Amino acid sequence: MWREGDDLMVTVASSKPRPRDLLGPEPFVVDLERFSGPLDLLLHLIRSQDIDILDIPIARITSQFQAVLDEGIQQMDLDRAGEFLEMAATLIRIKVHLLLPRSGEIEWDEDPRAELVRRLLEYEHFQEISHVLSRAEGDRSRHFGKGFIPPRSESTTVERRIEFGIIDFMEAARRALERAAQRVHTAPLPGVSVREKIALVRRLIGKARRVAFRKLFEPWGTRQHAVAALLACLELARRQVIRVEQAGPFGPLFVLRGRRVSDPAQEET
Amino acid sequence: MRPAQIVEATLFASQSPLTPSELARADGSLTPEIVERSLGELREEYEKEDRAFQIYNLGDGYQILTRPEYAPYLERFDSVPRALGLSAAALETLAIIAYRQPMSRVDVEEIRGVGSTTVLHTLQEWEMIDVVGRGEGLGRPLLYGTTRRMLDHFGLRDLADLPRLEDLPVTLQVERTLEVPLEAPPEAEEPAEPEAPADAHQPATA
Repeated sequence: MWREGDDLMVTVASSKPRPRDLLGPEPFVVDLERFSGPLDLLLHLIRSQDIDILDIPIARITSQFQAVLDEGIQQMDLDRAGEFLEMAATLIRIKVHLLLPRSGEIEWDEDPRAELVRRLLEYEHFQEISHVLSRAEGDRSRHFGKGFIPPRSESTTVERRIEFGIIDFMEAARRALERAAQRVHTAPLPGVSVREKIALVRRLIGKARRVAFRKLFEPWGTRQHAVAALLACLELARRQVIRVEQAGPFGPLFVLRGRRVSDPAQEET
Repeated sequence: MRPAQIVEATLFASQSPLTPSELARADGSLTPEIVERSLGELREEYEKEDRAFQIYNLGDGYQILTRPEYAPYLERFDSVPRALGLSAAALETLAIIAYRQPMSRVDVEEIRGVGSTTVLHTLQEWEMIDVVGRGEGLGRPLLYGTTRRMLDHFGLRDLADLPRLEDLPVTLQVERTLEVPLEAPPEAEEPAEPEAPADAHQPATA
């Protein structure tokens, strides 16, 4: 809606070349992104051109506002675009009101720009406050209270990482399975009794202070013996008849005497 | 043992501001008045001895905090880069609520001219605002107000610490309505400032 001859002091950051006649004597670049809304932009247009806010040249401001909007609106999401368009419509409405011829009898109670000016001044007021708050926030962040430096972590072993690759893992699994599956069975297997394993563990623990876990199934070699031995140890550990130790991750397991000298469930064996 | 020493011990052990009443709980002999006096004593002492910390008034409470000069040293212990602070939109919205509370989302949007749902959520997450009630009108909208945490975050004693309206460079009140007589027909509107108001009327004073 601008007419030729209107000063257009604003050009928008854009890669498209602007026709020369749209550029005023001192074009400045406006990046729509940095404005929080239409009031913010309007205020910027007014203040940066040293326009008297109490006497806004609506025609000029409206065309500048629209020019900025034309360039940037494509990049905006729908809600934001709607907010800017609403302001553009408001500006046009004000401009139309000012253009209406006024006869002697009709007295306006208020300048059509007055409402907009009030909104702009109010908005500017809160913008000032937000700057005050920002400085206050900065100052406050230079003071520190108890607890800013966090305590040292209690456990020193917590963060140990186990580093091994898939190859290592598969190799270890292969070795474990190999040990367990040394025999080839042609006959149906008798089940391996966990009860027997428990008895075995008790016997061995009675004789030696420490027994290697693998001794519990290696002589027989089968996977079933390994599983039964594991279950036996878990049960005895639960009863606190034995303790199980391991020097490090994936290290050999050792069975040791537990706290209870006499096993309350001994009669089960 | 002086009361001030008890107060000092209690303050030292606290990670957040304590009110005089809360501090007075440290001993039967303490009252809020005695606590206030002690705080004054301690502050003077710290000032005189040039301690690296001081007792600051945040919201309705007091906390021992390091003096700002030591920030560069303490920041070296920052293992996690701290958040930069609230965005411009959040600060704007907070400013509005701080001065006009309680406010509904719609009230805020009318002043800002933009949608504010997200910003209000952010401010609630940061515990700068909270729901303080519901409006009377249609829909009984939620009303927001600022929190004690907000005062702490900005290092304010209370909202009165924020500038009064009159102290700011811009004013809200337009004392006289603007009058624009349109003597000339529309075509005469120039690219430069319209002449009409300057001649016939004084521009409204702010």
